[in-house]
Amino acid sequence: MSAAKDTRDDGPRIMPFPVALHYEMPAAPAITRYGEALIDGRIIGQRCTGDCGLVYVPPRDYCPIDVIELTAADDVELGDHGTIVNFTVVTPVQYPGQEETEPFARVSIALDGPGGMLQLQDVLDTPVSEVRVGMRVAAVWRPEGERNLDELAAGGWSSTGGGIEGWMPTGEPDLDVSRLAGKGF
Amino acid sequence: MVDVAIVGYGQVPSVRCTEITETQMVLDVTQQALRMAGIDRHDIGFTVSGSCDYLAGQAFAFVQTIEAIGAWPPISESHVEMDGAWAMYEGWTRLQEGDVDLVLVYSHGRSSPGTPWQVWPLQLDPYHLAPLGLDPWSLAALQARALLDAGVASERDFAEVVARNRANAVDNEYAQVSGKFDVDALLAEPYVRNPLRRHDLPPISDGAAAVVLASRDRAAALAERPVWITGIDHRIDIHQPGMRDLTRSESTTRAAQAAGLADRPVQVAELSAPFSPQEVILRDALALDGSVEINPSGGALAANPVMVTGLVRVVEAARQVRERGRDRVLAHATAGQALQQNLVCILEGP
Repeated sequence: MSAAKDTRDDGPRIMPFPVALHYEMPAAPAITRYGEALIDGRIIGQRCTGDCGLVYVPPRDYCPIDVIELTAADDVELGDHGTIVNFTVVTPVQYPGQEETEPFARVSIALDGPGGMLQLQDVLDTPVSEVRVGMRVAAVWRPEGERNLDELAAGGWSSTGGGIEGWMPTGEPDLDVSRLAGKGF
Repeated sequence: MVDVAIVGYGQVPSVRCTEITETQMVLDVTQQALRMAGIDRHDIGFTVSGSCDYLAGQAFAFVQTIEAIGAWPPISESHVEMDGAWAMYEGWTRLQEGDVDLVLVYSHGRSSPGTPWQVWPLQLDPYHLAPLGLDPWSLAALQARALLDAGVASERDFAEVVARNRANAVDNEYAQVSGKFDVDALLAEPYVRNPLRRHDLPPISDGAAAVVLASRDRAAALAERPVWITGIDHRIDIHQPGMRDLTRSESTTRAAQAAGLADRPVQVAELSAPFSPQEVILRDALALDGSVEINPSGGALAANPVMVTGLVRVVEAARQVRERGRDRVLAHATAGQALQQNLVCILEGP
C-alpha cells in the first residue's frame, strides 16, 4: 500500500488498495453425489417427486417448483448424449483474466433419457456458425484417472468441467426441439 | 395503522459450518413458519428477505434462495441487504398498505466460507477504515476500552455477561455455544484484542430464520395467540465511529422511544449484542432494570449467524409470548459497526 500524489495541484490523492477475499465452502451433499458420478463417468440428476416431475441436473435436494425436499433416493442417471436447445455466441472483450480471443459458443443441452438440461456447455471442434438449435451432441469424457472436481462450484451451476472436456456433434439428423417442450426447465 | 402480528416462525440451529446450501436452510425455516401459521405458500401476498452477498462471496447470491419459497408462478418479492429484522420492518410496512394480509419474511447467512474480520470492513467502509486495517474485533475492543475508561463497566461485567448468556443458551437447541462458565476462569483467559477475550466475541455461525406476518383480521383467525407487533422503529447513528460516543447508543434509545418502550415495562429483552460490552451499552440505552430478563436464548454470544441474528431475536421474543405466556417483550437488532444502526420491536400477547 503506498500513497501516490496526484499530479493536479488541488486534485484528490489516490491510494491504491488492492483487495482479495478468500472463500471456501464445503460441497453440499447433492453436489458431492453429482461430482462423484462425474469422476465415475456418469451424469446424474434428480427427479422431482411432486407434481412437476422435472429432472434437475445437478441434483439440489429440493424442487423449486413444488417447493419440497428431495433426497438421494430421487437421483436418476441421465444420458451423455443430448440436443442443443439454446446457445449464445460470446465475442470476448479483452479484460484482465480473459483467456479467450475468438468468438465461442455456450450451449444448453437437453439430455437424452429421463430428461434434465445442462447449461453453459462447450461445443468442441465446431465453428460457431455451425452451432444450432436441434444439433445432436455427445459428451467427450476426460480419460479415467484424469478427471477431477477442481472446477466444480459448490452450488453446481451445471459444471461438468473436470469430468467432461466438452460436447462433440454426432452427425445425426437435427431433432425437432418442440418435442422436448416441458422436459427441460 | 394496520395492526400486525407474527403468526408463525422457524429457525435452524446455528452451526460453525453448515454442509447444506443456504437455499436448503431457507426451505427448512420457511416451511416451519408456514406450517405454524397453518397456511400454504400460495396464501402469501408479499415476501421479503435479508442477507449479505459479501458473506457468500457471490454477486446476487440471495437470488438463489428464492427457489426455496416457490417463485413460479411469479410472486411479489423484495430483498434488503440487511439483517432479517429490517426485512421484517419492510414486511410490516408493506402490510400497512392494506392490500395484502400475509407476508413471509426470511433471512439467511453463512459466515463460514469467508473471513468475517476481513469481509466486514470491506462491506461497511471500504474507503476510510478498511485500508487502516480496522477489523470489527478491534473496533469492538476500542468500544470496550471506552466503556472501561468512562468507568461505566469493568472487565468482570463483560465476563458476567458472557457467563449468563452461555448459561441461558444451555436450554436453547438452536444455540452454538453454551454451558456453565466461571467468571474468574473467564477472566483468566488471554486477550485477543485488549480488553476483549475470545469469549467476549461472538462465535462464527451459519443459520437462517423466518417469520410469517399477518394483518389484524387474518392474524386473529389464524392464531390462538397472535404475537402483536405493537411498536417497531429503527434509527441510525453517524457512520464514522470516531465521530460518536461509543459508550452510548443514541439510535437505540430513539428507536425504543418511537416503538413505545416507555409505555409499559417489558418482561424480556432479546438483544443483538455480539460483543459482550455492547450488552452493557444496550441495557443502558433501553433503561432496562434488573426486573427484565435479558436474552433467555443466550443472545448473539451463543449464536451469531450474521444477517439472521436480529431476526432470531424477534423469533425468540415471539416464542416468549406464544409459548411462555409473556405479555410484553422487546426484540433488538443491530447493523453496521459498533452498534451503529439499531431496530427495536415491541411484541405483545392478546
